[in-house]
Amino acid sequence: MKGYRNYFLKQLVWFLVTVVVAFTLNFILPRLMPGDPVAAIVARMAQGMSNATGVQAVYEQYTELFGTDKPITEQYVIYIRNVLRGDFGYSISQYPRTVADVIQSSIWWTVALQFPAIIVGWILGNSLGALAAYLRKGFDKVLMPISIFLSNIPAFGMAIILLVIFAVNLRWFPTSGGYQFDMVPSTSFEFVWSVIVHYQLPFWSIVLITIGGQAIGMRSMAIYELNADYVKYARFLGIKDSKIIRYVFRNAMLPQITGLALSIGTMIGGALVAEIIFSYPGLGSTMLTAVLGGDYPLISAATLIVTLMVLVAFFALEIVYGLIDPRIKAAQSE
Amino acid sequence: MSKPILEVNELTTNYVTRFGDKIFAVDHVSVKVDDGKSVGIAGESGCGKSTLALSLMGYYFPPLYYASGDIIIDGQNISGMDPDVVRKTILGNEISYIPQAAMNALNPTQKVIHFIEDVIQAHYPHTPKKEIYELARERFELLGLPAEVLQKYSVELSGGMKQRTVIATSVILSPKVLIADEPSSALDVTSQKMVIKMILDLMEKGIIKSLIFITHELPLLYNVTDDIMIMYAGQIVERGSADEMVFDPIHPYTKALMGSIIVPEEGLRDVKLTAIPGTPPNLKNPPSGCRFADRCKFVMPECRVRSVELRDIGGGRSYRCIIPEEDLRKAYKSEKR
Repeated sequence: MKGYRNYFLKQLVWFLVTVVVAFTLNFILPRLMPGDPVAAIVARMAQGMSNATGVQAVYEQYTELFGTDKPITEQYVIYIRNVLRGDFGYSISQYPRTVADVIQSSIWWTVALQFPAIIVGWILGNSLGALAAYLRKGFDKVLMPISIFLSNIPAFGMAIILLVIFAVNLRWFPTSGGYQFDMVPSTSFEFVWSVIVHYQLPFWSIVLITIGGQAIGMRSMAIYELNADYVKYARFLGIKDSKIIRYVFRNAMLPQITGLALSIGTMIGGALVAEIIFSYPGLGSTMLTAVLGGDYPLISAATLIVTLMVLVAFFALEIVYGLIDPRIKAAQSE
Repeated sequence: MSKPILEVNELTTNYVTRFGDKIFAVDHVSVKVDDGKSVGIAGESGCGKSTLALSLMGYYFPPLYYASGDIIIDGQNISGMDPDVVRKTILGNEISYIPQAAMNALNPTQKVIHFIEDVIQAHYPHTPKKEIYELARERFELLGLPAEVLQKYSVELSGGMKQRTVIATSVILSPKVLIADEPSSALDVTSQKMVIKMILDLMEKGIIKSLIFITHELPLLYNVTDDIMIMYAGQIVERGSADEMVFDPIHPYTKALMGSIIVPEEGLRDVKLTAIPGTPPNLKNPPSGCRFADRCKFVMPECRVRSVELRDIGGGRSYRCIIPEEDLRKAYKSEKR
């Protein structure tokens, strides 16, 4: 277990180092952009203002608010202090709401939509891919073209296809929103039902795309493992196929776990398309409005969250990998 | 004479290519191994050695198929048996196998002991784990392997240790016959020596009754097995005791093989090293006459038309050539001068 503890500590140190680097980049990059963001904001705010002193006052107010008149090191300290407090400043496009407030109200929609969709798609995709590799023949010949087709449809294409078929033509599901627009969020049965109905199309559009890619990956991994030497050896020692299949799929699953961590980490980016097309009130839609509205504080905070999620997902991946794959453990203890 | 433990009669197996062509990689091969004896099979790459190893197990999976012949283990003919029954009762239990690539023969995500549990429980489903562990520990220690190996994953073992672990695992149920397919070819000389010693130990300690050792290294066979068989293009071309085969080869191919070996021994060192010209025939369309004809120094027009059978010349010796043995020996002698 000592080897594993060292491995864990090493991963933790690397995780922290990357967080600091990501943090710093997230701070520096917007400040490297040509032009003065404050001036840009003020220029937009001041449209229609003819009073030069007024514009000047607005400019100074923002300069002070963002601290752009201070030296960069001091700005960095202020930035870190604010982030640690959860204070990302005010959202420009949704003023006077704070960035923290905007993100908090939308992130749970995203997590609740994406997380189950990715997990369901991953499990279904891997099971189908494994079956295709094992059964081959007809099942494989039908599943593979479908999977390749599904995985290659761009996310917006899938969302629009589902939207046209099930919402516009069949009218089974609503076209947009997280719940019926005239309802107030509550725990009443009608509201919950409305949420469930609105949930289906965005959910399945993500599930379907995930299934395709995972099934293809799992199938080729499993075929590769099925031809491995240990399979032949185990057969010649009389071990039953049902047992050998278990070895094979456990091993084929390992690289697939990387894919899972990746999609969970990049959840918010992936959510963008489905959320925008279905006007789902999640972080994706919020980011779109932020980008369109030049809402720098909101963009910056969202980017930071995405970065952190990717890092956390990968950290978790490394930790889990160390436990389930002895090859990693052996490589680390050397 | 002692009774044969493994008797293989006219075994023929074939591969089926994706275009449906049949390739007979093992063509009417007969092998007999007596109790306490070992037989080595040698030949060039691609001559069907490894396929023969797979075929001797009596259990086939695509692209290798059984065509004809019998495999009799200790009086029990397994070639007509239901494959599932063969797998459950014979493989690993009566006849076992050491693969060529021991590096990848163990599941990378499983501890050695768990694999051994699976092997034993495949044949004796209700064996308690404690009993299995005791058995495995005893067997490993008897063969000079530390018991700690059982708790390790294959990646934590060195190449030589991995191969020895595989050998110990293969014979965990004390099979009657062990088929070793180039068990030492991928190892350095030190590990090679340990592996060979271990295989000889298996015979000496009575864990296995007979051994078939397949390799391309003839000098190794000379030191390991009682008898040697030479394989060429899917067929056995000569069989005899190890001494006879090395010092008195009859078949031109055997003779040529012996000439292409680097011999470090004093007295043999000045023998000129020769290579065999040409390449083995394509088994998709094997020649109708002698398969070695194209590369043979003594080829006659008749060789290319007349198919030639393995000729038994007594004393466990047989060879596949139409030229009488005396004439071949005479030719070899005149060659030397």
